Amino acid sequence: MGVTCVSQMPVAEGKSVQQTVELLTRKLEMLGAEKQGTFCVDCETYHTAASTLGSQGQAGKLMYVMHNSEYPLSCFALFENGPCLIADTNFDVLMVKLKGFFQSAKASKIETRGTRYQYCDFLVKVGTVTMGPSARGISVEVEYGPCVVASDCWNLLLEFLQSFLGSHTPGAPAVFGNRHDAVYGPADTMAQYMELFNKIRKQQQVPVAGIR
Amino acid sequence: MADVLSVGVNLEAFAQAISAIQALRSSVSRVFDCLKDGMRNKETLEGREKAFIAHFQDNLHSVNRDLNELERLSNLVGKPSENHPLHNSGLLSLDPVQDKTPLYSQLLQAYKWSNKLQYHAGLASGLLNQQSLKRSANQMGVSAKRRPKAQPTTLVLPPQYVDDVISRIDRMFPEMSIHLSRPNGTSAMLLVTLGKVLKVIVVMRSLFIDRTIVKGYNESVYAEDGKLDIWSKSNYQVFQKVTDHATTALLHYQLPQMPDVVVRSFMVSGLRSRVAHGDLSSLPVSAGSSEGGPQWARASAWDTGQRRADAFF
Repeated sequence: MGVTCVSQMPVAEGKSVQQTVELLTRKLEMLGAEKQGTFCVDCETYHTAASTLGSQGQAGKLMYVMHNSEYPLSCFALFENGPCLIADTNFDVLMVKLKGFFQSAKASKIETRGTRYQYCDFLVKVGTVTMGPSARGISVEVEYGPCVVASDCWNLLLEFLQSFLGSHTPGAPAVFGNRHDAVYGPADTMAQYMELFNKIRKQQQVPVAGIR
Repeated sequence: MADVLSVGVNLEAFAQAISAIQALRSSVSRVFDCLKDGMRNKETLEGREKAFIAHFQDNLHSVNRDLNELERLSNLVGKPSENHPLHNSGLLSLDPVQDKTPLYSQLLQAYKWSNKLQYHAGLASGLLNQQSLKRSANQMGVSAKRRPKAQPTTLVLPPQYVDDVISRIDRMFPEMSIHLSRPNGTSAMLLVTLGKVLKVIVVMRSLFIDRTIVKGYNESVYAEDGKLDIWSKSNYQVFQKVTDHATTALLHYQLPQMPDVVVRSFMVSGLRSRVAHGDLSSLPVSAGSSEGGPQWARASAWDTGQRRADAFF
């Protein structure tokens, strides 16, 4: 995998989420990108159980368990600003057994689904972020395959993003700055999705009209 | 044209003579028609014969008349001029259309050009044979000392020598690591890793570079059997393009007398400069433009890198 940038696209004024997504995908198709199926990234939140908290005197930490259709056999477990664990999909079963330590937050499941596009060496995924029944926003993921060092190709990614996001082009993701010369990995992408989901959770709920 | 023809031929008479010939021919054919048809049916045999003879006679008279007319006209036409040995057909060569086309001067010009071309080609080949490739001139001083004096056939070099050359290149650059292996007989295969940018598979035959493939840093360079995969190309368009460039460079700078120089130049200029000068961000852009990409695909920066690399040589 290459370097990936995940960002949020604000919903266009006077348009629904669905319409904005269509606007984006049409732009991509005009650019010459090829449609390559769909993708899905989901995230579930776990609390640290109260019983373990008290004894150690720590603040409660949130753990996010995520799946990415790009890595169908893997499961990602992340702490905010913390380590990221990449495990087999069986990890979900393990989480059930760890009920005593981690408890699933109610109705916390958030996911993004959409279409995957290939343009030259770029992979673009435009998805609708949904939480429960409501559409909350739009995620745009752009991956540049051939490169593994984020700082080497950020400018290129930026230029590409500008070509179809226009004024909504995001700044460099935080994970890029963390490690200057390190090889970019799937965990970095998941951390970006986690941040995006957290940001969207805090946002006001948009009208349900946009759901598909 | 008119004065040329008037020398020997009266055109008017000529046209009349032609029509006279036609008349003669038709009257002759009437004679034969009459003979073919034979005698017409009449009451008496004498009547039949008389009518036939009269008809036949008429026809013969008309033939005679036409013949006399033709003879008269042929005198009018006049004798063809004696100037042309081919008689009138000789006049064909006087067709003025040919005089207007500058065929002769063009032919002359073309001949001059081809002569000149041959001359210059001869000069150029002489010069090229003297100093086979210019790029080696700078490095000649260094490499000449190290190179063994006698290299009868550069194809049969001891593997140790190849190892030596490669390891020397390996030590020259910290950001470039070369891994040498010989999976198939004595031919060396190199896996060159450049920083965190790309990997290059170089297939050698003795010290000649046979084939080169450039792949991304995160791509697998090994086949399923664990050997270096020297056949499949990169999944990324950028590196397919880079492979093309590398192969072009390889074919362009072949120097049979000094293979080690070729290898070193290839590594130094062809590969290392990609990282040192033409940093990666400049590469993918050109791949985009080769795709006829939209506005963000600006003028190919890779080509500039290539030119810079060429300046090395």
